[in-house]
Amino acid sequence: MKFLISLAFKNLTRYKRRTLITAGAIAFGLMMYIFVDSLLLGIEIESVRNLKWFETASARILNDDYWENRFQRPLDINIPNPDKIINKLEDNGITATKRIEFSGDLILNSADFGEDGNMSVVVTAIDPKRDFDVFEFGTTLQKGRFLEKNEDAAIIGSWFAEDIGAELGYWITIVTRGNGGFYEAMDLEIVGIVNCPNPNVNRTLIMMPIDVADEYLAMEGASTEISIKLPESADVEEEVIHIQNLLNGDGLTVMSWKSMAADYLAIAEAKRGGTGMILFLIFLIAAVGISNTMLMAIFERIRELGMMRSLGMSDKKIRIAFMLEAAGIGLIGSIMGVFLGIIVNFFVVKYGINYGDMYRDMDIGYRVQAIIRGAWNFKTMGIAFFAGIFMSTLVAFFPTKRALKMDIPSCLRHQ
Amino acid sequence: MIIVKDVKRVYQTGETEVHALRGVSLNIEQGEFMSIAGPSGSGKTTLLNLIGCIDQMDGGDISIKNEQVSKMKKKEKTNFRRENLGFIFQTYNLIPVLTAYENVAFVLSLLNISEKEVKERTMAILKEVGLEGMENRRPGKLSGGQQQRVAIARALIKNPEIVLADEPTANLDSDTGKEILELMKKMNEKHNTTFIFSTHDKMVMDYANRLVILHDGQIQSDEKR
Repeated sequence: MKFLISLAFKNLTRYKRRTLITAGAIAFGLMMYIFVDSLLLGIEIESVRNLKWFETASARILNDDYWENRFQRPLDINIPNPDKIINKLEDNGITATKRIEFSGDLILNSADFGEDGNMSVVVTAIDPKRDFDVFEFGTTLQKGRFLEKNEDAAIIGSWFAEDIGAELGYWITIVTRGNGGFYEAMDLEIVGIVNCPNPNVNRTLIMMPIDVADEYLAMEGASTEISIKLPESADVEEEVIHIQNLLNGDGLTVMSWKSMAADYLAIAEAKRGGTGMILFLIFLIAAVGISNTMLMAIFERIRELGMMRSLGMSDKKIRIAFMLEAAGIGLIGSIMGVFLGIIVNFFVVKYGINYGDMYRDMDIGYRVQAIIRGAWNFKTMGIAFFAGIFMSTLVAFFPTKRALKMDIPSCLRHQ
Repeated sequence: MIIVKDVKRVYQTGETEVHALRGVSLNIEQGEFMSIAGPSGSGKTTLLNLIGCIDQMDGGDISIKNEQVSKMKKKEKTNFRRENLGFIFQTYNLIPVLTAYENVAFVLSLLNISEKEVKERTMAILKEVGLEGMENRRPGKLSGGQQQRVAIARALIKNPEIVLADEPTANLDSDTGKEILELMKKMNEKHNTTFIFSTHDKMVMDYANRLVILHDGQIQSDEKR
């Protein structure tokens, strides 16, 4: 065995350039694998975070009948006494805030926007005092200021502001139907523009103070939802059951972010399958490269192989010798690949890649906007390292087997 | 020691059958220094390959040291070659990445021999073939004659009773060829090793103490000297 290892190592140095080129191909494949995996993991982590931070919160309390009617955003299917529930949750160490979500028509006035127009929108009325405890809009302000209580003001997403040509100080009119069906129009001054990392929110966001909405919509203190923040380490499903028990029925349902984002999670899972195929193809390309190199290496040494067989070296040992050589190439490629992967990953994790222009007008499902950062995944690096060695060894098996099928005199005559 | 009985070998070249050997019979005794000669295509390499258990015959029988090698399975033939036969090739067939020492020691690494013994035997045989001080040179740094000496050392290191050499001097100039033949003859006399070599070189034939001439796959003459 010692001789076989020594022979394999020496053969690696026999064609240095070829060894390096093949190892380079493996290294590139593994680096791409680590890079793509890091980016996908980063996107998923950031997507989930942005989903919870800006869209669903960790969990949400809703009227039992609200979820199935959620697209109509009915104001009459509400939580009549949200403050009481929030206090109860607070007594149990749970942070929560109430919100009213309603749909309406946004009227744009030519005085501010240059021309008249209207569009359907969804407005979220928030408690300016408590909302930042649950959601993370605190760091997203791009222009102006945040909302204060009891003012006819609105904050909008920066992409939405760009789309409608809005600036600070512009007035918008929301026409909607209040609780009970009456028509109501509310004029709101844009006091702040936020750049929300969740593109779905940044594209559509209009927020106003909840007390003002309560008055316009005749909600009489009711809200359409109570959003809850749970610690990152918490088992969300367990907490949901715990909160549900605290509510004692009351015609209310607690939903985890996973239930609310079931569609997104299903799409993400499907995408993971698709990207698995891409990763497989990267490996396949590297495998073809190694296979070709090993094929050339073996067929160039057919006479040597014939000599070894003549002298009584068993086919098994010859196969081991060539596979050890291939494993050596795999080892060099894996070391280079993981090293390059770590370097590339460092930059992807620290600085990320700016896809802002691409994602601006495109919804790809993921809740990430502009800069996409990778994530460290040492398991993937370990898999890449061993897969590189294993794959190289495996692909050497077949050309060796083929060469060993030749009879010895033919091997010795081989030019 | 070696009994070749009515051996036939037919190659299929496309639609054509080529009869390389048409019923060759020979008895070879221990310690012979035998040359198989004949023009190209006469069947000398085929006969050598069959005696060397690296080719499959289409008829007849070969026994070596009372073992019927023609009936052996592939694995048994491999073991038999490893333990009993030495080979010398026209193009030396040394492993270019290994030194002269490693090329010779390689044969012993296939047998279960201690490292110490491998070293002692390898150094001794290299000295015997006149390569002392060149152990660490790779084939690329050796002349043709020196490379063939390494090949002879490789063939003899395991003390085989039979060494088969296919045109061992064909790639060498006449002076070096003569040196190699003298070395082989010396080894033949010293170790009583049976040497069977193919050639079509008159000088090589003159060294043999038995000359078998093949023509069209049949023995034309068999002369003991």
